[in-house]
Amino acid sequence: MKEQKGLLTGDHFMLGDYAAAEGALLAGCRFFAGYPITPATEIAERMSTRMPQIGGVYIQMEDEIASMNAILGGSWSGVKSMTATSGPGFSLMMENLGLGIMLETPCVVINVQRGGPSTGLPTLVGQQDMMQAKWGSHGDYEIIALCPGSPQEFFDLTIRAFNLAEKYRTPVLVMADAEVGHMTEKVVIPDPEEIEIISRPMVRKGDVEPDHFRIYRDMTHCKGGVRVSPMAKAGDGFRFHVTGLTHDERGYPDMSAKGNEWNMERLISKIRDNKDDIIWVEEKDLDDAEVVVVSYGISARTALWPIELARKEGIRVGLLRLITVWPFSEEKIRRLAKSVKAFVVPEINMGQIVREVERCAAGEAAVFGVHRPGGEVLDPAEVLNTIRKAAGHPVQTEDAVIANQEIQE
Amino acid sequence: MSADKIPADSISHLSGYEPPDQSDWETGLHPMDSLLRGERLPHIWCQGCGLGTALTTFISALQWLEKNKEWDLEKVAVVSGIGCSGRVAGYIRLDSFHTTHGRAIPFATGLKIANPNLKVVVFSGDGDIAGIGGNHFIHAARRNLDITVICVNNFNYGMTGGQVGSTTPHGARAVTAQYGNFEYPFNLPYLAAAGGASFMARWTVLHARRLEWTLREAMEHRGFSFVEIIAPCSTAYARWNPEGKGLDPEKLRRRGLEVIKHYKEIGKISPETHPKDADVKVDENGVIIEIVEGKFIDDPKPDLQEAIDQMAPIAEKKWKAAKRAIDNRPKVKGRTDKVPRKELQLGGFGGQGIISAGKIIGQAAAIYDKLEACFTQSYGPEARGGAAGSQVVISSDLIHYPNITEPESAIIMSQGAYEKYAPLITEKGILLIDDGLVVLPENHRQDIVTYGIPATKAAEEMGNIRAANTVMLGFWTSIVGAVSKEAMKLSLADSVPPKTVDVNIKAFDYGYDRGTELKKTKAIPIPTPTEKTGTTHSGDKKSSINEP
Ligand code: SF4
Repeated sequence: MKEQKGLLTGDHFMLGDYAAAEGALLAGCRFFAGYPITPATEIAERMSTRMPQIGGVYIQMEDEIASMNAILGGSWSGVKSMTATSGPGFSLMMENLGLGIMLETPCVVINVQRGGPSTGLPTLVGQQDMMQAKWGSHGDYEIIALCPGSPQEFFDLTIRAFNLAEKYRTPVLVMADAEVGHMTEKVVIPDPEEIEIISRPMVRKGDVEPDHFRIYRDMTHCKGGVRVSPMAKAGDGFRFHVTGLTHDERGYPDMSAKGNEWNMERLISKIRDNKDDIIWVEEKDLDDAEVVVVSYGISARTALWPIELARKEGIRVGLLRLITVWPFSEEKIRRLAKSVKAFVVPEINMGQIVREVERCAAGEAAVFGVHRPGGEVLDPAEVLNTIRKAAGHPVQTEDAVIANQEIQE
Repeated sequence: MSADKIPADSISHLSGYEPPDQSDWETGLHPMDSLLRGERLPHIWCQGCGLGTALTTFISALQWLEKNKEWDLEKVAVVSGIGCSGRVAGYIRLDSFHTTHGRAIPFATGLKIANPNLKVVVFSGDGDIAGIGGNHFIHAARRNLDITVICVNNFNYGMTGGQVGSTTPHGARAVTAQYGNFEYPFNLPYLAAAGGASFMARWTVLHARRLEWTLREAMEHRGFSFVEIIAPCSTAYARWNPEGKGLDPEKLRRRGLEVIKHYKEIGKISPETHPKDADVKVDENGVIIEIVEGKFIDDPKPDLQEAIDQMAPIAEKKWKAAKRAIDNRPKVKGRTDKVPRKELQLGGFGGQGIISAGKIIGQAAAIYDKLEACFTQSYGPEARGGAAGSQVVISSDLIHYPNITEPESAIIMSQGAYEKYAPLITEKGILLIDDGLVVLPENHRQDIVTYGIPATKAAEEMGNIRAANTVMLGFWTSIVGAVSKEAMKLSLADSVPPKTVDVNIKAFDYGYDRGTELKKTKAIPIPTPTEKTGTTHSGDKKSSINEP
């Protein structure tokens, strides 16, 4: 990356939303289009200050539909682009998230989740958009979604999101939440040289005759690699065409079942076939675990406390923290289901990822959800009691008090 | 006025017509082949449709610009939405984007802003631009974004079979308006003008030549240019409306022709028309009786890019100052002793610096004492009505649970905050109040330790009432001791405005020393309500302390 001017480094006591913005800048994002919405507004605020300092552009669009489209346009001009929003805006973005997937456009969309549905709880936490992240746009597709649990991780995963977006030529979602977005903690920003930055494979002028150029080259026969067709950008002389319609290698409409199959095959397999590269999880004490807590984002973080307490009580409990939530860690959970007694799935919604865990556990291990609607992080006592229940231990009352005392010691 | 009689001044700014290069005919190529995706032809458009003319005039204009104005057409990108007109992106041999319905303009916005060297043209229909995408249209005009929007207006949704739309004249028929359109249409020139378009023109496809000249001009215009092309939809709109019911209604081509003939009858070239009066006039049956044509707006003004460019030097200067401050931060070793989890609640009202005080503590702990710290502020309904609350958790270990459960200490600067937060403090916890602002009630908790300091009054006497929170910070640092004094001072210095560093350090020291003094007395300082009100305002900055 040649443009280093204006990048922040060092230790900072930084708001989660700001950390995401700084991560994006470090990843090379130079175009941000957004619309104010709590609790993601601070990302836009930060970007509006920082972009002009760094040679990029921030623009506030008329709505989130426009924001999503603008970043697709920005990306096709060859500039790494991002937007950030929360529930209501995320809903508006769904239409053109689909366009981004179909056009195979690298970009990053951050959703700082709040309680829903509808206007819901603008200022308070939720994890209720996890299934929308997977299925929110119409049609069939695979998506990549990452879940941070702290400002530092919000920073790290925004960089990772850009890298994955560029590598796989697809929109990548960062599914944060109001708690992480509005929390201020230490964020360590390394020197740019210490960070791996991936940029999309591109054809450049002279690489190939424009007439022979294929914007969606069929790479299925190519050996190894991620098999993603190199991209061109507008203005480079390739005179390419792209469309949201089912298309062929040249990007021309192909209105046939076969054409749709060819599209789906490519869009889905480029992610499914590379799960090993895309999926990141954090594993803690899984080796001897009889109970495994499967969680993500802020809920995985707050579960660490009850997990610690449960261990002290002698329950062999481990943690599988889904850093990448989509694509889902199916194999991992299938394997664990064979050796553990039960899974506990804490999340701030009425039961979303728990269904995925149930699907993968396929009856081989019990699955207990810990759910509450938006507004607050999960009660550690409730998580602790669910772990006890899952382990077959008696559930205790007044746990909040007990838990609190123990942690103070 | 007949269309043949053109006022001279309406075209004086345009150059004349040039026939296509004859050599092309000899090669057997069509002169427009280089800009058409031949492999995608034949196109999907109906016979008699006006879109063919709209496309060829567009291509002619591009070729003219290439030839006469040294335009590099490889730098031209075309963006379309959905609909019959939206197919243009698929036929033109340029970098072209066929996006979603109504979204061509915001897509083009990103394309253009991210690469200002591109010439970006949006080519779409009335349903796309004025219907579903109407909001994007007015906003792009407002920004004076340097793109050209070409909108083919055929008064209905052609591709889906002729439904009524936002430009269908009142009373006109459509497949979903069998009794005549009961709504009123947009006047697109007026809409563009209201949005702030710096260039706006309208032609019917009958005036192909003038349309081409206008398109050249529109694309050369720097800023938001809008060209409305009125065109027959021979299959759908003309089927339901008398303009198209000509000689042989079964023949689409004829129907299209009839519409064109009608345009000839009712078209009125009138560039001096105010956009307000540019609405398509109809009779009581919805039959179009007048379409004014011409260039209605040509009003150059700074475009969006100019504004963006102007920002950069100011922003860079700001960055340099910020960077200098960060680079000058002293290097510190941090604390090595173990700090168990400590929770602090801060409360007061807006403007007292409750949020920044919490942040200063968090930063002192995280950056200068090198501990873990998590700062959060109240955003919920409780944060309304002028109340402000913030929380800090400090620990040597990773902080799993970011929120407050039972704070060991609280800094309280308003009566409301006292009532709200005092009950939360853990047993034997420490409550620090600005005792000029908080009156302790009779039933004040005896199981917590309470210290008071007239922070606001003291700060006022030091010449900056806004340093009251800093007095509380010093007070808290000496009494609670979760963060070192050095770290607090460093954090304070890079958090307050540079001009106020001195007064803030003074305020901090004052609070710190008072706290140290109070701690030395080893008394349990519980101020009673009666004692408090009188003494703390005495002006001797004496902290209220009451021995049991
Ligand atoms: S439906 Fe109307 S607008 Fe569409 S191609 Fe046919 S005539 Fe043209």
